[in-house]
Amino acid sequence: MTLGPFFPREFAQGLNDLAPGASDAIEIAGRVTELDGRALDNVILEIWQADRAGRFDNPQFAGWGRAATDAQGNYRFRTVRPGAPAGRAPHVSFLVLYSGLMRQLQTVMFFEASDDPVLTAVEESRRSRLVALEEKKNTFRFDIRLRGEDETPFFDD
Amino acid sequence: MPILIERRDPLTQAQGVERGYAQTARRWPSRPLARRPHTASELSGPQPVARLLSTREGDLAGHGAKRALGQLIRLRVRVVDEDGAPLPGTVVEAWHCNSAGKYIHPNDSHDAPVDPNFYGAARMLAGEGGLVELRTIKPGAYPVPDTNGWWRPPHIHFSVWGRVWLSRLVTQMFFPGEPLNEADAILSAIRDPGARSRCIASLVPSATSEMVFDYQIVVRGRSAAPGMP
Repeated sequence: MTLGPFFPREFAQGLNDLAPGASDAIEIAGRVTELDGRALDNVILEIWQADRAGRFDNPQFAGWGRAATDAQGNYRFRTVRPGAPAGRAPHVSFLVLYSGLMRQLQTVMFFEASDDPVLTAVEESRRSRLVALEEKKNTFRFDIRLRGEDETPFFDD
Repeated sequence: MPILIERRDPLTQAQGVERGYAQTARRWPSRPLARRPHTASELSGPQPVARLLSTREGDLAGHGAKRALGQLIRLRVRVVDEDGAPLPGTVVEAWHCNSAGKYIHPNDSHDAPVDPNFYGAARMLAGEGGLVELRTIKPGAYPVPDTNGWWRPPHIHFSVWGRVWLSRLVTQMFFPGEPLNEADAILSAIRDPGARSRCIASLVPSATSEMVFDYQIVVRGRSAAPGMP
């Protein structure tokens, strides 16, 4: 027997490509796990990011997407690499929704270590967990470990 | 003009690991959440979100020969920001189980019948006054697997956007007078009684064939609706 969530499948379909047709698209993919590294199925992830120029108000680029993990815990987004917003390093905001999470969780993916004010709000020893691994050109891996060893840092509102 | 966001009051939000809800101890982070500065990234959001998501009329109860079984209800949901200002044009997603307590979802293994005339999910656009109306049937209660008799009370899941990324909210609406409300591990995780009562819809007198309930979702600030994924 399983306990939810029963987030409707249709709500998470067709929304993980933020840059249809873009020739310079990047892929962000990873695995969502709980304690002991167990993979989680149907975790809902939403992302919000700037456009290539670091702007949040581009009518041609929505900057928002949603994906659900599969039974192996894997998710995938296709998007463009965001530029640097004023005072910030390039980054992608993530929202995590799942049963057993009493509230939605917020985290942020970065492309490289920097003195970004949100990245440096996390203790230094844990910052590398927020930096994606470029597995090959334009393909970034960002695993989300909710709890346990080497868990992902999450942010208050 | 810069947007200032008042943080949600912790008393109105569940904490993390809840006794009586075993999965929370496997999933909620063991380390405290980091407090971050609010920049343009957190204080902006997809606008209008309706550009991205197709919306339709909120009607899950069916018509004619294809009527879902159960008590017909109409929910009048108002979405407002922390100042009580309505949020017209925001998108509202709603989903719930059928009147027997069964979700339309491959992961729901509850031994209860499927209702072929019940759909279970709607995405709507808030109109003037931040209002959406959902015509549906009252969801049933269902047992939570592997617990010592925890039944979820009838509830409806709502997902709303608000104006900015930090106002994104997923919550649950409950029904008044339900005996299962008090013992629910999710509703009772909200420590502030006022915040708990704001999760419960109000029955409105109705002379139609539908029971009518009013419900308000505050997306941010001190009286924000509790997050309940």
